[in-house]
Amino acid sequence: MKQKKTLLTVISIVVLFLGVYLADQNLDSYKMRILNLCAIYVVLGLSMNLINGFTGLFSLGHAGFMAVGAYTTAILTMPDVVKGQNFFMVPMMKPLDTMHVPFFLALLIGGIFAGIVGYLIGAPALRLRGDYLAIATLGFAEIIRVVFTNIQSVTNGALGLKGIPESSNIWWTVGVATVTVLFIGSLINSSYGRAFKAIREDEIAAESMGISLFKHKVLAFTIGAFFAGVGGGLLGSLMGTIDPLMFRFFLTFNILLIIILGGMGSITGTIISAFIITIGGEALRFLDESMTIGNLVIPGISGLRMVVFSALLMIVVLFFNRGIMGTNEFTWDRLFAKFGKKPLAKGGSKQ
Amino acid sequence: MMNLSTFFQHLTNGISLGSLYALVAIGYTMVYGTLRLINFAHGDVFMMTTYFAFYGVATFMLPWYVSFILAIILTAALGMLLEIGAYRPLRDAPKISIMISAIGASFLLENLAVVLFGGRPKAFPSVKLLTDSIQWGTVSIQKLTFVIPIVTIIFLVGLLYLINHTKTGMAMRAVAKDYETAGIMGVNVNKTISQTFAIGSMLAAVGGIMWGLKFPQIAPLMGVMPGLKAFIAAVIGGIGNIKGAVIGGFILGIGEIMIVAFLPSLSGYRDAFAFIFLIVILLFKPTGITGEKIAEKV
Amino acid sequence: MNLLKVENVSMIFGGLTAVKEFNLDLNQGEIVALIGPNGAGKTTAFNMITGVYRPTIGRISYKGNDITGQRPDQITKQGIARTFQNIRLFKDLTVLDNVLIANHLHLKSNFLEATFKLPRYRREEKRILEKSLSLLEKVGLVDAQNEKSSSLPYGKQRRLEIARALATNPEILLLDEPAAGMNPKETDDLTEFIRQIRDEFHLSIFMIEHHMQVVMGISDRICVFDHGVTIAEGNPYEIQNNQKVIEAYLGVAEDYA
Repeated sequence: MKQKKTLLTVISIVVLFLGVYLADQNLDSYKMRILNLCAIYVVLGLSMNLINGFTGLFSLGHAGFMAVGAYTTAILTMPDVVKGQNFFMVPMMKPLDTMHVPFFLALLIGGIFAGIVGYLIGAPALRLRGDYLAIATLGFAEIIRVVFTNIQSVTNGALGLKGIPESSNIWWTVGVATVTVLFIGSLINSSYGRAFKAIREDEIAAESMGISLFKHKVLAFTIGAFFAGVGGGLLGSLMGTIDPLMFRFFLTFNILLIIILGGMGSITGTIISAFIITIGGEALRFLDESMTIGNLVIPGISGLRMVVFSALLMIVVLFFNRGIMGTNEFTWDRLFAKFGKKPLAKGGSKQ
Repeated sequence: MMNLSTFFQHLTNGISLGSLYALVAIGYTMVYGTLRLINFAHGDVFMMTTYFAFYGVATFMLPWYVSFILAIILTAALGMLLEIGAYRPLRDAPKISIMISAIGASFLLENLAVVLFGGRPKAFPSVKLLTDSIQWGTVSIQKLTFVIPIVTIIFLVGLLYLINHTKTGMAMRAVAKDYETAGIMGVNVNKTISQTFAIGSMLAAVGGIMWGLKFPQIAPLMGVMPGLKAFIAAVIGGIGNIKGAVIGGFILGIGEIMIVAFLPSLSGYRDAFAFIFLIVILLFKPTGITGEKIAEKV
Repeated sequence: MNLLKVENVSMIFGGLTAVKEFNLDLNQGEIVALIGPNGAGKTTAFNMITGVYRPTIGRISYKGNDITGQRPDQITKQGIARTFQNIRLFKDLTVLDNVLIANHLHLKSNFLEATFKLPRYRREEKRILEKSLSLLEKVGLVDAQNEKSSSLPYGKQRRLEIARALATNPEILLLDEPAAGMNPKETDDLTEFIRQIRDEFHLSIFMIEHHMQVVMGISDRICVFDHGVTIAEGNPYEIQNNQKVIEAYLGVAEDYA
């Protein structure tokens, strides 16, 4: 049975990539860009869900980790000439100005740096709880942004970086998203994942069961920061430009919206919701732009799209606070159960 | 080297900035004291006031004092509406839900402001009587520098009187201690929480108007930074403690101006100071400089 | 053999002394009960032993090692497990998950081995699963393994909490009012159950309990608290005839009988 499920998972991944291939062949670049964004938001949503949804740590520092990943990836992949063009105000610090590595390695290093920053922030901040933790992580993210605005010889300051090689394509983004889903899914279904959930459910009981709160909180936080960094790196390389203003609290808000809508503590929910929010965001773009119906020109109202999003967040929290999936997951077992196949033996592991 | 008059100028600047933080911080601290909630939208309530005042003067041609008073009343109403719409339905929900609702409300107000008032900054009406400068030997100081702390002190004294010597104040203190018990004892909890929001928002409104006079450019996102800093001031002073919020406001306002004045090379990091300060306080004295410890029951 | 030694431990909150100069010797295989009126400081004593509170003064040692002021997880790792007065299960998780979680502290694999399901982790996970199922079998909850723990009836939640504590491989088990809210039949079963697990898992048990039936039935020794002070200590017979104890309970005796 177990092998059968693994086989099904492998088949689905193959089908997924077949779909990616077809999309890559048939869709225009605008639609591909949206699909890329969806995949990146899956990575970002999952990384935040690991911290906020599964471990129950209310962290608002995601934009900071993304900034670390995005800048690292960009700096490590930009050609020397482009670096020279970018850094016309203050020359770039040596040896960064001539340093580059392949895209994959750059993403990985970006993730690792973000993870290290996550660890350094988490180690002191995770002693705090609830809203204090939220505000401290928000503060750290702002500090990262201010620092990036000021270390001109590394980040080019407020001018940002332009002409980042657009190495990410649908294969990269969907590939990384798939790896993230499998990694975080497998982590969550392991003994460590159970320990994270125990901390979310009841810290005092978890600690009394011998789970070191500090060790596990920092672990979840660091892994989350790692994937946020990778997601940030992908995003920067998709956009081609980054600047410190991109990494304001607003970005964290977007990801928060995704995990709230999908359900805090559900991987499936996050994936569904990343697509809904990203595609919905594009679909609602007409609200901000002027529209022509026949001879009638309706002027767009800039900002209306965000009004819809903010209202959506509040509606979900006020009326459907478990989101689309709550803490439920899609599993093959559930699917079989739904279609009336015989239920699996008790005690069988999920996945 | 800095001479005495420049130092004095920085100090007065710091005091007036600190007063503004203090006025906004009181709202955070009062709401936190009652609902254990960081009212993320408080900074945006502060922003809305400046637009109310702006439209009062610019569109409805009201005299500035009428417009300001109307803006304060409207802001109080907005604060109450915020509580009824975004927080009251979640009062018994997990803390995280209320906080998310607060973040949502904050973004909603900001974006509504973009939609309704436009994204471009507007010029806040100037009031000659308050914004003129007075000459003092070689030093020229804006009257506002003195008006702001004085107005702050007047409102603070009024607030403390209200809280400590009136029935409404007693109800507020009771609700802040334990709203469930207060309810059982016959306090109208909903009304009292509404009043808390109204008063907190009014003080933010007063702060907003004076902020507009001092920095006469208003924009939909103008409330974010002052809001966060006022919240930090409230944490420094020990959240839930009104006098603490005022002290925190002054520490932050004066500290910010002085650090930039004495270490101009670090001025780019100005916005980071407050956060660094916040994190240091949270890590080493999480209950603030006046706060007391609350232990969790096992 | 002495396992747990509590010496002159006091806990002062602000100006209030919750527990004053508490002493306890718990020997291998013993069942010791802590009784006393509500608010006497019994749970505070538990919280100090399990590391939730750091005692203001005094020393707690386990197998001769000083454990005063260590964190709860460190203390549990060394072999002292507990249950809670107001049941603290992981409510949204299944019955099985609740027990599995309590095995995590002895896991040797790191998170990468666990994520990539490497051989050592697979072996450990298999062992954990078998052990947890056998524990559930013993407490009669194996049929409910996939149910949400919060959906269990009260008595079963208590048993699950004990099973969860047992999964940490303790030598000492601290039970905080295990019979609270149980009917006479359940109480009888519980008494038998406690004795049974003591023998099967070679435990020493220290428990807080109000049900005199349970306390008198299984305790080797009893400690009586009143206002944070130990007013009596001895075997069930001595305690039942102790004048101070009778006074402390006077007027409220019916509630606890």
